Amino acid sequence: MKKVINYVLLAASMTAGIAASANANDLNDLLKQVKADRLSEAKIDKKREAEFTSARADKQALLNKAKAQLKAEQERNKRLTKEYAQNEITLAQKEVELDNAKGTLGEMFGVSRAAAADAYGQIATSIVSAQYPGRGEALDAIANAKAIPELEQLEELWFALQTEMTQSGEISQFTAEVTNLDGTKSTESVTRIGTFNLVSENGYLNYNDEMGQIQPLAKQPAGYIAGTASDFFGETSGFAPVYLDPSRGAILTLETRKKTLMEFYHEGKEVGYGITILLVLGMLIALERIIVLGAVSAKMKAQEKNLSQPNENNPLGRLLKVYQDNKEADAETLELKLDEAILRETPTVDRGINLIKMFAAIAPLMGLLGTVIGMIMTFQTITLFGTGDPKIMAGNISLALVTTALGLIAALPLILVHSIVAGRSKSVLHKLDEQSAGLIAAIAEKESK
Amino acid sequence: MLFLIELIDSVRSFIATGGNVLYFVAFALLLMWIMMVERYWFLAATYPTIRDEIIAKWDARSDTTSWYAHRIRDTWISETTELLERNMITIKTLVAMCPLIGLLGTVTGMISVFETMAQQGTGNPRLMASGISMATIPTMAGMVAALSGVFFSTRLDAKVKLAKAKLVDSLPHH
Repeated sequence: MKKVINYVLLAASMTAGIAASANANDLNDLLKQVKADRLSEAKIDKKREAEFTSARADKQALLNKAKAQLKAEQERNKRLTKEYAQNEITLAQKEVELDNAKGTLGEMFGVSRAAAADAYGQIATSIVSAQYPGRGEALDAIANAKAIPELEQLEELWFALQTEMTQSGEISQFTAEVTNLDGTKSTESVTRIGTFNLVSENGYLNYNDEMGQIQPLAKQPAGYIAGTASDFFGETSGFAPVYLDPSRGAILTLETRKKTLMEFYHEGKEVGYGITILLVLGMLIALERIIVLGAVSAKMKAQEKNLSQPNENNPLGRLLKVYQDNKEADAETLELKLDEAILRETPTVDRGINLIKMFAAIAPLMGLLGTVIGMIMTFQTITLFGTGDPKIMAGNISLALVTTALGLIAALPLILVHSIVAGRSKSVLHKLDEQSAGLIAAIAEKESK
Repeated sequence: MLFLIELIDSVRSFIATGGNVLYFVAFALLLMWIMMVERYWFLAATYPTIRDEIIAKWDARSDTTSWYAHRIRDTWISETTELLERNMITIKTLVAMCPLIGLLGTVTGMISVFETMAQQGTGNPRLMASGISMATIPTMAGMVAALSGVFFSTRLDAKVKLAKAKLVDSLPHH
C-alpha cells in the first residue's frame, strides 16, 4: 500500500514539472506562430476565391447543358408514351387477330394442358417412372406452359401416355439404384410388375416419387406374402404365384403398419411372459408324465404276460412280489398287504397331474389380471388425456386383450393335455387298484387246483 | 356337384368373416364327433359281445362266492368299465373347450378392432365391423359346437353308466 502511494506521488510531481517548463518557454513562440499562420491563411483564401470565380462560368455552362438534356428527355417521354399507347392498341388488335387465327387450336391447347396435368399426377407417382425417370418434367412443362405447346412437346405427351399404357401390361426386370433404409445406396436388379409392384430378391420395394428413389418397404408384410415376392423375383420362366397390390402401394403401406404376431405377443408384457412360463412348465410336466406313464404301462403289460416272475421295475411286479412273499397268509391279510402296496404306488403315478390342472386354471386368471391392469392403465390415460384420441387408449387396451388371449391360448392346450395325462394315469391306477387283486386271485386259484 | 361347390364357398366365406379361430373350433368339433361316433359304435356293436362273453365266463365258474371270485369279478368289471369309458374324459374336455376357443376368437377379434382403431381412428365403423364379426362369429360357433356336444356326450355318459350297472347286475355273487 505504501509503495503504491509513493508511485502516485512520484508521477504527480513529474507532470507538474513538465507543465511549468512549457509555460515558461512557449508562450512567445506561440504568439509568433499565430501571426505567421494568419498571413499564410489569407493567401490561401485569396487563391480559393479566384478558383471559385473561374469555375462559376463552367458551372453555368453545365447547368444550361443539363436543362437542354431535360427538355430533350421530356420530349422523348411524350413521344414514347404516345408510342406505347399506340402499341397497346396494336397489341389488342394483334391478339384478336391471333385468337381468330388460332381458332379451334386454342381448345386443343387447353385440352393438351389438362391432359398433361392429369398424366403428370399419374405418371410421376407411377412405378414405371422408377424404370424410365425424367418423364415427369416434360409433362410438367406442358401443363404449366403459357405458350402453345410445340409439336415435340405434344409428341412427348403422347409418348409418356403410350409408355405408361404399354408398361402397365408388362413385367420387366431392370437394374436400378436402391436407397436402403440406413441411407446407403446399392445397385440392384428389380422386377416391375405392371404399374403395381416393384419386387427385388428381398421382397417388395416402394417408389418414392418426391425423391425419385426406389426404397425397400419400412417393414415387409407377413412372411408368406413377402416370400411369394422374392420367389417371383427368382423365377426365370413359367408361372409363379405372387401377391399384387392393386392399390399401387397403399395396401402395402397399411400392411407395414400392421403388427406382427411377435409384436402382439410382446405387448402382453410381464403378465404375458408369466403366462408363457406357465404354459411351458405345464407342457414339460405333461411331457414327462406321458413318457413315464407310457413306460410304466408298457412294463406292466409285459409283466401281465409273465405273471409267474415278478419284476421289481414296475408297480404290478411289486404287487405280485407282495403276493409271492405272503402266499401262505389268509385272504384278509393278503388284501391288507396289497392295499398297503397300492397306496405306496399311487402317488408316483398321479404325481404332477393336479399341477397341470392348476396351471390350466391359473393361466386364464393371469390373463384376467392382465386385462384388469390394462384397463386401469387405460383409465389412467383417459384421466390424463381425455377420450379425444382413441389411438392413445388403444395401446393399453391391447395389453388388456393380448393377455386375455394369451391366457386362453395357454389354458386350452393345458386342459387338453391334462385330460390325456389324467386318462393315462387313471388307467394305470385302475390296473393297480382294481385289477391287480384279480390277477393275483386268478394265480392263487390256479395254484390251489 | 354345384350344390357342393356352393356349400364349400359359403363355408369359406363364413371362415373368412369369422377369422382363423374357426379352424380350431372346427377341429375340436370334428375330434369330438369322431370320438362320440366311435363311442356309439362301440356301445352298439362291440360292447354286447364282450359283455356276453364275460357273463358266460362268470356263469361257467363253479366258485362265485369266495374272496378270489370277488376279486376276479371286480377285475373283469374294471376292465370292461375301462373299455366303456375310454375317451369319455377327452370328449367332455372338448365339449368344455369349445366355448373357450370361441372366447379366444372374441378376444382376437377385439384385438383386431382396436388395431384398426389405433391405425385409422374411430371415423370409419365399417373398418371396425370386420374385427367385430371376427369377434362374434367364433363365439357363436364355439357355443353351437359345445351345445351340439353337450346333449350327446351326456347321453353317452348315461348309456355308459347304465351299461356298467347292467353288467354288474348280471354277474350275480353271494
